[in-house]
Amino acid sequence: MKKLFVASVKMLYRDRQSLFWALAFPVIFVVVFGLFDFNQAPNVRIDVVGADRAPIGSALIQGLDRVGSFDVHRTASGAAARRSLMDGDVDVVLLVPAQASATGSSDVEVLYNGSNFTTNQFALTTIRQIVDGMNLRASGISRPPLVVQTRAVQAKTVDYYDFILPGLVAMGVMNISIVGMGVAVARYREQRILKRILATPLRPIRFLSAQVLARLLLSVVQSALILGVGVFAFGGHVYGNVLWLFVLVVLGNLVFLNLGFAVAGVASNPDAAQGLGQALALPMMFFSGVFFPIESLPRVVETLVRYLPLTPLLDAMRAVAIDGKSITATGVQLLQLGIWVLVSFALATRLFRFSEAR
Amino acid sequence: MIGNDEVAVEVRDLVKEFPAPGGGKLRAVDRVSFGVHRGEVFGFLGPNGAGKTTTLEIVEGLQEPTSGTTSVLGLDSVRDREGMKARIGVQLQAGAYFRYLTLEEILDLFGSFYPRALPPAELLDKVGLLDKRKALVGELSGGQAQRFSIVASMVNDPEVVFLDEPTTGLDPQARRNLWDLVELINREEGKTVVMTTHYMDEAQVLCDRVAIIDHGRIQALDTPLGLVRSLPAAYRIVFRASGEVDEHALRQLPGVHHVSPVRLNGFNWELAVRRAAETLPAFVEWSESNGVEVEDVQVIPATLEDVFLALTGHSLRE
Repeated sequence: MKKLFVASVKMLYRDRQSLFWALAFPVIFVVVFGLFDFNQAPNVRIDVVGADRAPIGSALIQGLDRVGSFDVHRTASGAAARRSLMDGDVDVVLLVPAQASATGSSDVEVLYNGSNFTTNQFALTTIRQIVDGMNLRASGISRPPLVVQTRAVQAKTVDYYDFILPGLVAMGVMNISIVGMGVAVARYREQRILKRILATPLRPIRFLSAQVLARLLLSVVQSALILGVGVFAFGGHVYGNVLWLFVLVVLGNLVFLNLGFAVAGVASNPDAAQGLGQALALPMMFFSGVFFPIESLPRVVETLVRYLPLTPLLDAMRAVAIDGKSITATGVQLLQLGIWVLVSFALATRLFRFSEAR
Repeated sequence: MIGNDEVAVEVRDLVKEFPAPGGGKLRAVDRVSFGVHRGEVFGFLGPNGAGKTTTLEIVEGLQEPTSGTTSVLGLDSVRDREGMKARIGVQLQAGAYFRYLTLEEILDLFGSFYPRALPPAELLDKVGLLDKRKALVGELSGGQAQRFSIVASMVNDPEVVFLDEPTTGLDPQARRNLWDLVELINREEGKTVVMTTHYMDEAQVLCDRVAIIDHGRIQALDTPLGLVRSLPAAYRIVFRASGEVDEHALRQLPGVHHVSPVRLNGFNWELAVRRAAETLPAFVEWSESNGVEVEDVQVIPATLEDVFLALTGHSLRE
């Protein structure tokens, strides 16, 4: 058994091309996502009409400049500014009133493009704050009786990169197992290696177990690589115990390896196994929330994808990686994964076959 | 018969049916019975799809029979499968080995599946591949790969070796090398060899006994010589005459089955005869007493191809 395991690891290691892609594919994602800065405040292009109208115009522009995220243009004509807004050349148009009206109050009009939610939120809030400050000063209040003091109590910063990192780990593991194992087994069968092994006194389950163990080892190496690059090269965060993550990876991988055997059983040759494996893995990658939280899905779809094996794995991994929970706090997900291990094992033993003939 | 020390393989009323495409059943092996003696080279000769491989794989315990029994060394292929597997060697038709292990590693790995195994170096040396022990299977020539696949079936020093079409696809030189290897396994190591082939020359050269199989049935089983002798005309006598020949007189010679001109010049003839030894003296006497000078007399024995044709009505290559 030890010899079989060592041989299986050797075979994985020597198949350099497959190994390279198995490891490089998710790492490419880690690097690409790492290059984006998800925390950056949105850059707002703003047209200010009547900027030269003192004192309101200059005070507003001063306020905008101080915030820094505004790309300020001065425009003479309100009509031209509206046109730019319609064309999408600017995000917000600010109309400065000529002077204080007779009632003592004037309107600072803000026009915005309704389609850009985050930019609007940011721009409108900021402009309101600037105007509020100006109002206070105009009322002669230099020290307001109430001041809001903010202090973040969440000691950690969690951004989209931290969200996606456990997702990429799970994605990588799923791919090398469903597709990789499926293709490998289909090839062993096509080349009659499985049958050749059946002709020896070795119990076939031992050969298959050695293959599974070798691939579990590979998945741990792969996960370590993904997390390593993500955390050390791109500043991603893992708040929980990394060991729990590896435990989850191995547990999830059992499901994916079983599915790989099932894929090999259904597919008539290695190419078909490749296609079928991808057809299972790709939709699962998107639906189970590798890239986007599944809460964004329609209710019905969300309920359905909760039954996919990748979903509880991702939930549990994020609970550990982001919320810093212990694996014991993910009982529901562990139970779901456990059920999937049994279901996929039953599926694999049902569909697996040693020879071409059914 | 089962349990007899002299019997290596015993097959009784073996039937194997597959579901046929479009419903019904396809009988790949149809009531086949035979026995293989210890120490012999036993051959299955037949075209592709005749049922050779299926029969062999049932004997090896790789497929379940529909009905009938098979045993090797007294061990039932189904009931005593594990014990049997330890004592046989199996080479699969067009079977491959792991791409990313060296020859030495493959033999070492397969050896670990058996209670007892031969050292890889010794095995490789036997087939002249010792200098290739660090090579991968993909780096071998066709003949080398085939030799390796045979020696890989002998890691456990088996008593019975099954070879399924060991020379298919090889060039003539590589085939001859493989024949030498089979003879070495059989003559010097005393192993029983059961092989399939669709080459009649291979069966003739290597096999002590040959079973001719077609459409899932054994059509005849005997030594190559016995099979040939079973033909009404086991030999052909070909000659060139110096002058005109009386065809009728030739037909009257003892043991002559058939007389035909070889070329249409009236001088070259072929006699199909039962036994060369029976006809030849009378033939010589005929030529002397009739004043016909004969030249280039050739006695050509019939081949298994002729036997196959006579038995099945079609040639092996069809």
